[in-house]
Formats: sequence, structure tokens, C-alpha cells
Amino acid sequence: MNEIKLVFTGSMGAGKTSAIAAISEIPVINTDVRATDLTTSQKKSKTTVAMDYGELTLADGQKLRLYGTPGQQRFDYMWKILIKGALGLIILIDNSGSDPIGDLARYVDNFRGFINETTAVIGITRMDISPEPELQRYHDYLNERSIQLPIFSVDARSPESIVMLIEALIAMLEFGQ
Amino acid sequence: MLPQNIITQASQRLEKLLESCNVINAAVIVTVDGHLCTMRQRGQQYPLERLATMGSTLMSLGDTITAELKMGTCDNIISENRQGLVAFMHTDQNHVLVTLATQKNVLGMLLSHSRMCAEDLGKIFAG
Repeated sequence: MNEIKLVFTGSMGAGKTSAIAAISEIPVINTDVRATDLTTSQKKSKTTVAMDYGELTLADGQKLRLYGTPGQQRFDYMWKILIKGALGLIILIDNSGSDPIGDLARYVDNFRGFINETTAVIGITRMDISPEPELQRYHDYLNERSIQLPIFSVDARSPESIVMLIEALIAMLEFGQ
Repeated sequence: MLPQNIITQASQRLEKLLESCNVINAAVIVTVDGHLCTMRQRGQQYPLERLATMGSTLMSLGDTITAELKMGTCDNIISENRQGLVAFMHTDQNHVLVTLATQKNVLGMLLSHSRMCAEDLGKIFAG
């Protein structure tokens, strides 16, 4: 296995583009455009409408191909396109959003088939500025759904944080859950 | 989002497009981030809301590919299909025009009329 396709998905503004940019060894290919609606533009000036793409080579020579999905639901056709051929999924949730548990539910539901076949890890961002809900709430939600996935508090801008997520994901892929 | 009077003018320009070019079956204006502004079609045969969002995705991919290859700016994206053609083009920095024809041999007509319409729409949006 010399090349691994990983997909970053999750809520708008959770840091998918930042996460890929934090670790990519090539200039990230992105499709960010100006956000024109008030809800989005109050949160950030640009939004991804197709995909992000970056690459990272691991110490053992494995190349990671990193794809980021658009966060907004109306682009869900891109979710289905980008997940094809992926080996793992990283779900990023913005803890400062209005309904972060609901956001997690939406992405788990949308990618449930893929998660059942392979696996995923979950990164919760912005816990430093919005500590509620606590990580336990996310665990409780997954437990209620009989889903077992690792959950980490991460800084999407921090290479160490994102590498930790990827290492957890690869460990699950290699050794099972 | 656009003021109502601008949307009205843009809608009228789409109507003119469909009147002046009978091979064009539908036309949609969408923001670059996928919000439908206005649309016109013959009959109600296409789910244009979804096409509008996809139009923003495709145009952005076209811009990204063009920038990657250092080929200037992306003028059009053309989807040639067994049962027709779809063209995507910028009207200005913030909006995309999507036009659709159900005949295969009308690419020139589709592009020329759509380009004129896109230029007019750019002027309308500039106020």
C-alpha cells in the first residue's frame, strides 16, 4: 500500500482546508470562492465549493493523498464523488457552531456506509474558544448509535494535531478497531 | 445577495436569451458559492436548483485547473453529452451563467448567445 487516499469532511468552518494546508508538502489545490450569503460570510470570507487537495509522504514512503470536501450540505454530491476509493475518513466538527452534535450526526449519517466498510476518526476544533459541548457528549452520542470511533480535540492549523488524527486513522486501518 | 431590481433585470435578460436563441432550453444564474439567483427554462423539465449549485462547483474547478496550468482565465466549461450540451461561464467575479441545449450540434449558437448574455449580465450586476 504505497498510496492512501484520505478524505477530510465536516462542518463549514471546522478547518478542513486549514488542516490539509497544515500538513501538505505541495501547494494545496483549493476551490475556495467568496461567500455571498450572510450566514457564511459572517463566519468566513471564503468557502470551498468543489474540493481541496494536498499530499503528504510518510516516513515509510507511503504517500497520503488528502482530499477535503465542501462543508455545506448543498454540495453533498461532491461528498459522494470524493469518497470513492478512499481508505479513511476524517470528520472535523466546529465546536463553536450552533449545533455541533447535530453536525456530527449529519456527517456520520451521510458517510455511514463508508464508515461501516472502513473507518473514520473525529476531530473537534475550536474547543479552546468554545469548550461546550465536552468531548464526552460526542462519545455519548456515538455510543447511543453503537458507533465506536476515536474523538480528539484538535487545532486544525496545527500540523501536530492533524498528523495525530492521521496516525490514529492509519492505526485503525492497519490493526482494526 | 442581489437586490430585487437587479434580479428582475437579470431574469428579463434570460428571457431574452431564450427568445433569441431557440436551441437554448434553460438558463440559470448562480453565485460563485452556489446560490441560485434566477432561472428560466422552456417548460418545467429540469431540476435547475441542483444544476445551479453544480455550476458553481464546475466553474471553480475550471478556474483552479486553468490557474494550475497558467493558462490565463477560464472562459467557458462545456459539457458535451449524448442528449445535449451544457455551458458554464462567468458573468463577473461573483456570478456564473449556466445554459443548456438539448441538441448536440448547436455548440456555436449556445456559446455565442450565452457569451453575449453573460456580458450583458456583467453590466447589469455592475449597476
